[in-house]
Amino acid sequence: MPDFKEEIRKRVATLHLSPTREAEIVEELSQHLEEQCEEAISRGVSEEEANRAALADLADCEILARELKRFRNKHKPLVIGNERGMWLSDLVQDLRYGLRMIAKTPAVSAIAIIALALGIGANTAIFSVVNTVLLRPLPFNQPDQLVMVWENATHLGFPKDTPSPANFLDWRQQNHVFSAMAALAPQSFNLTGVGEPERLDGRRVSANLFDLLGVRPLLGRTFLEEEDKPGTKVVLLSEGLWRRRFGADPSVVGRGLALNGQSYTVVGVLPRTAQLPNQENTRDQLWVPMAFPNEEATQRGNHFLDVMARLEPGISLKQAQADMDTVMAALAREYPDFNARRGAVVTPLHEQAVGAIRPALLILLGAVAFVLLIACANVANLLLARAAARQKEIALRLALGASRSRMIRQFLTESVLLALLGGSVGLIFSLGGLSILKRFVPPDISLASGIAIDAKVLLFTLAVSLLTGLVFGLAPAFHAVHSNLNETLKESGRDAAAGARGNRLRNILIVAEVAVSFILLIGAGLLINSFMHLRNLNPGFRVDHLLTVKVELSETKYPDTEHRAAFFNELTRKVQNLPGVESVAVGNNLPFTYNGDSMSIAVEGIPDPPPDQWPDVVYRVIGPSYFKTMGIPFVAGRDFTEQDNAQDQLVVIVTEKTARHYWSGQSPIGKRLKPGSTSSQSPWRVVVGVVKDVRQNDFVAEPKMQMYMPYAQARSPANALLVRTKVDPLSLAIPVRNQIWEIDKDQPVSDVQTMEEIVTNAVARQRFSMLLLGVFGGLALVLAAVGIYGVMSYSVAQRTREIGIRMALGAQRSDVLKMTVGQGLRLVLTGVAIGLAAAFVLTRVMATLLFGVSPTDPLTFVSISIVLIGVAALASYIPALRATRVDPMFALRYE
Amino acid sequence: MLDRELKKGSAELLILSLVEDRPRHGYDIGQLIELRSRGVLRFNVASLYPLLYRLEKRGWIRGRWVEKAGQRRRRYYRLTPIGKRVLAAQRDGWQEFVGAINRITGIAHA
Repeated sequence: MPDFKEEIRKRVATLHLSPTREAEIVEELSQHLEEQCEEAISRGVSEEEANRAALADLADCEILARELKRFRNKHKPLVIGNERGMWLSDLVQDLRYGLRMIAKTPAVSAIAIIALALGIGANTAIFSVVNTVLLRPLPFNQPDQLVMVWENATHLGFPKDTPSPANFLDWRQQNHVFSAMAALAPQSFNLTGVGEPERLDGRRVSANLFDLLGVRPLLGRTFLEEEDKPGTKVVLLSEGLWRRRFGADPSVVGRGLALNGQSYTVVGVLPRTAQLPNQENTRDQLWVPMAFPNEEATQRGNHFLDVMARLEPGISLKQAQADMDTVMAALAREYPDFNARRGAVVTPLHEQAVGAIRPALLILLGAVAFVLLIACANVANLLLARAAARQKEIALRLALGASRSRMIRQFLTESVLLALLGGSVGLIFSLGGLSILKRFVPPDISLASGIAIDAKVLLFTLAVSLLTGLVFGLAPAFHAVHSNLNETLKESGRDAAAGARGNRLRNILIVAEVAVSFILLIGAGLLINSFMHLRNLNPGFRVDHLLTVKVELSETKYPDTEHRAAFFNELTRKVQNLPGVESVAVGNNLPFTYNGDSMSIAVEGIPDPPPDQWPDVVYRVIGPSYFKTMGIPFVAGRDFTEQDNAQDQLVVIVTEKTARHYWSGQSPIGKRLKPGSTSSQSPWRVVVGVVKDVRQNDFVAEPKMQMYMPYAQARSPANALLVRTKVDPLSLAIPVRNQIWEIDKDQPVSDVQTMEEIVTNAVARQRFSMLLLGVFGGLALVLAAVGIYGVMSYSVAQRTREIGIRMALGAQRSDVLKMTVGQGLRLVLTGVAIGLAAAFVLTRVMATLLFGVSPTDPLTFVSISIVLIGVAALASYIPALRATRVDPMFALRYE
Repeated sequence: MLDRELKKGSAELLILSLVEDRPRHGYDIGQLIELRSRGVLRFNVASLYPLLYRLEKRGWIRGRWVEKAGQRRRRYYRLTPIGKRVLAAQRDGWQEFVGAINRITGIAHA
């Protein structure tokens, strides 16, 4: 009798049935044919004849094949019992199996978990910042109704100008869209009489501000409407100040306090949440009523207020903007001298609080997502390699009747388990990362202090982990389950996974990984590059060896310029004599610590420009030796001296830019200018010197027109001491403070810092983005290198035999090296090419974060390509080197 | 010998009828068809088994391996409850069809 089984097998082999199914069919059909033969023989037919007849039955194999085709791969194993009931026990089984698998290859699992932890941890950390800063609502009542209202003076370069008191009061009267409107203005206070004298940052606020925000006092009450008038001396303390200076004494309400030499009554304590989300006010420690004096209430050209408002219920931002447009248009007609071409801008309060940092945070969020993708690719590759090693086991289980969907589920359970483990470790990483990160959060993000991992962040981490597990688990799972079982079972164990398909998948992952890393590195490179540009920016003065101290004189103790001048003259003399001091000067408002102090000026011999085109001139009030101490070079003329005092001719020093604007081509020395318009009452000032331009208010922007006036001749008091030192500037901090207290033991001293610290703070936001993106770029590079190394090692191990044969046939080590490194480099170059194209497009979104560098800066692109290709070459060189050490005999015998 | 299409259409009915009262294995079914049709109908391996598998896949019959002492194991097919309903419906349909044909051909001869 012929082997029917073999005959049948031949005919159904092309159908790629599941092995179990195939075996059953073969058995059933061969049985049939055998019985048919036996029966024919028993009827007396010759054996040959019977066999031929049976085989003829099979001959119509076209039908057999066609009919059986429908059954291909669709066979379901017998399910015993209720299918739904098995779901849970399946899951438990899968979990157990997954854990066993993870424990079985601890090295692979550990690498995967760490890679995932880095990716998920970075995501958690950045998301918790995003969550706190961008997503969490402001801690006020119905915060989405809160807006800020600005004057729009775009024609002067101030698209959001601080409103003037008179305009604010008119707005409050004339608008139809706000249920309340309040103004704020910074003010600092010298607190005396309670321990050490101290200078405190605070704010004048409209009495209704806290009602508007919905802030309830911790103790006492907020301001009453009738307290919002000149002469009321009431104050609200911040929770911080109350705890620090008053030991959280509940009887502080009603107590008297000496502020700026005047007595104020404490009416309440405000909770931490009262800290307003605005620049520089995170340190607010106390508040007093706005109480516009009459002369201030009528000022329309003096812009210094922040204005907050609450939208009436049902009023949209657009409607509010339209109404304010109408109101401001009327005011522009009524007061053209001040309001011509000025508009009003309504912006959400939240945007004001976070607008500046939003692009940076979103880009960072994108960057960490990229890091996670790279980690996923790495882990997918690891699992692919491991699945390859397990190919035989999988084939066997499938042959024994396990269903493919169940196998995939098992693979996914394992990868999700890995991802969850990675996520847990990542959470720990992110806790550590956050505590470091918080130190670099720019101080102007006032909400940053609340950064923490809350339920939403935990949920995010969980979701990211699960998703990650699915993303990196799917490819290996499908790959493992959909390979040809027969082939696999026949192949030798080592080569089991070496199928071209597996290699292709691994290669694609590497190319993707390199491409994504490249984009990240380009982003990081561009930011680092811009930061270098920023740091190398010449602010116009010497930043090093410069100590700065805030000395805010009390207006009651030093009521006039003479008293103040006397104090500062004595102080500079004393400090000058300290060892290590090169020169000393006083000034008001150090560079980058204050954004205001500008005025319009009239220049003798030049007609006043129309009111709406009047340029602003930034001014600073300074004492003698200021330029020498700051290291600002003179272009022409002389410095101020102690003779430039109130009795003498009023003088002024201008910067080059101002000189060029008003006296282009002539010497400005001896020319005269004055604040306001030509017809104003202010006396003329004579220009006595010209100095180089200095970046004064904004570190990044080009310097504006500036001028300097001697403090002895100016109303605004000097408030800062500058000490140029020969030694470490901070070593003089205590001696300088002691000199101040020798003159006046009640004089508060604050903000003792070096100019370097001030400049560092001025670029804090840029540094924040640069550092983080730099870290993520580095992380990406490391992960990509590990990934390439892993794939190359694997590929070399697979090809041990091939390499052995090549070497036995006379290939040189250098040939093998070239071949293996070449293989790695091909992948890397493909990745870089794709990354290059993508980065070219993607870096455009970073344009606003860049300074002095174009988003497609060729230097960055070239150098990053070189770095990445170099690292990748190294990562494939090491396994290649190992390949050349293959002993041909050993490799060949290894089969 | 009947036309292949007709054979195919009625083959389902034949198989379902044969496994109606008791489970049978493939060879048995093939033999019975040949025997009871007195040799008019004959299924070879290549056409019988795909048909069985198709019916099984539809859930009309179910095959099970059964081992009996001293014999090799065989796959026995039994009618499922769904198969029972299908069989009843097909039987009715068939009788209607055959009746119609008879009436037409009877009138033609008359």
